[in-house]
Amino acid sequence: MAKTSAIAIQIATGDARPIFRQIVDGIRKEIATGNLQSGAKLPSVRALALQLMINANTVAKAYGELTAQGLLESRKGLGIFVAEPKQMLSEEEQQLRLQEASERFVNDVMYLDFSPEHMTQYLLKQLLQLQQKDENKS
Amino acid sequence: MTDYIIESQGLTKCFGTKTALFDFNLAIPRGGIHAFIGANGAGKSTFFRLLLGLESPTQGSCSVLGINSQELSPEHRGKIGYVNEEHTLPSWMTVDAVIEMQRSLYPKWQQDTFDKVIANFDVGLKQNVGQLSRGERAGLNLSMALAQSPEVLILDEPTLGLDVVAKQAFLTALMHTEMDANCTIIYCSHQMEEVERVADNLIIVEAGEVKYMAAPDDFCQRVNYWICDFETKPDKVKNLQCVLSLKNIEGQIHIVTIDQPAEHFEAYLLANGAASVVAVPVSLDKAIGAVLAQNHRGHELSA
Repeated sequence: MAKTSAIAIQIATGDARPIFRQIVDGIRKEIATGNLQSGAKLPSVRALALQLMINANTVAKAYGELTAQGLLESRKGLGIFVAEPKQMLSEEEQQLRLQEASERFVNDVMYLDFSPEHMTQYLLKQLLQLQQKDENKS
Repeated sequence: MTDYIIESQGLTKCFGTKTALFDFNLAIPRGGIHAFIGANGAGKSTFFRLLLGLESPTQGSCSVLGINSQELSPEHRGKIGYVNEEHTLPSWMTVDAVIEMQRSLYPKWQQDTFDKVIANFDVGLKQNVGQLSRGERAGLNLSMALAQSPEVLILDEPTLGLDVVAKQAFLTALMHTEMDANCTIIYCSHQMEEVERVADNLIIVEAGEVKYMAAPDDFCQRVNYWICDFETKPDKVKNLQCVLSLKNIEGQIHIVTIDQPAEHFEAYLLANGAASVVAVPVSLDKAIGAVLAQNHRGHELSA
């Protein structure tokens, strides 16, 4: 029986993002940063609901969305697992997400005293590290 | 036929000259946690008392589990759990004796459910009920209500005045119930944080009427918050039906709207004197607060 991975996310009430959305974003981030690797077993709907003290239907809805996005997969009788990475987004959608993410990044760093070269170098280093992590795994 | 666990049609209740409920129409499907929200005196507790058959309607009718509330037999009552904010119990009895009494009243009593729920609360069985804290009494009441394996559980402000530990224990027990038992939960609370955590469905009640019934996320999306700069007085905007509130904060106009498509309203604002318009996302507590506050205002105007 696979060991269940801990999910280190928090939810906040009184936020404009619904709790369901916070879980989806939180788990996406955990997967993107490598804290949850492909094949990792997630807590059951019930366990995560009790951990976060929220309605189980909300967790089920979040798991459902992540499954539809191809990030999680449900294995019959075994539980929910992080899926092998496969691209579910269209070329167009990927381009849009890249654009949005880089706008956020630029927005965050524009008041720092670093040169554009320094910052791109830094970004590149981080991306390569992530790639390395992925390769080590497989 | 759709399976509604609670229904009311044209339900009206007057106490003397005061109308507590007027033409109250509601149909709650089986399963899930339904949060009842409304200001004090909105008619929530009256509705529960009518449902339980503790009061009789002036007009109209209501039913639980498909049975008219006025015709509930003891057997039907056994399927309905009710916990209110008072947590009243005979103070001179020991906890043991109270449990024994309840057990004898309910044929479907589940001792293991009781043991599991009460374990969340630190309640000594030999104590007198009068010595228990508010949180312990709440825990005892909830444990007893759940042990009768109810098909519907009505909680009227159950966590009012509880400390953090008791509140979390209460919510945890509630989560277990929703997941394990085939029980529909009606949850009445002023604690928006709890409502956001637990509710599948919102029922917003105001001045004795059901104003909105929707899933929390859907409800949130119906409410929009706008910050605009106006060159003229925004009088025309203020009187629109979709505007819940309009405030001037240091020269900027803050507007909350409901059921108005965002792009339409933005265009409308720009065409009616707004120089700039920014849409701000709304949280559930803000959305509910805006709706309830607007109804308050409605009262003042009509009074």
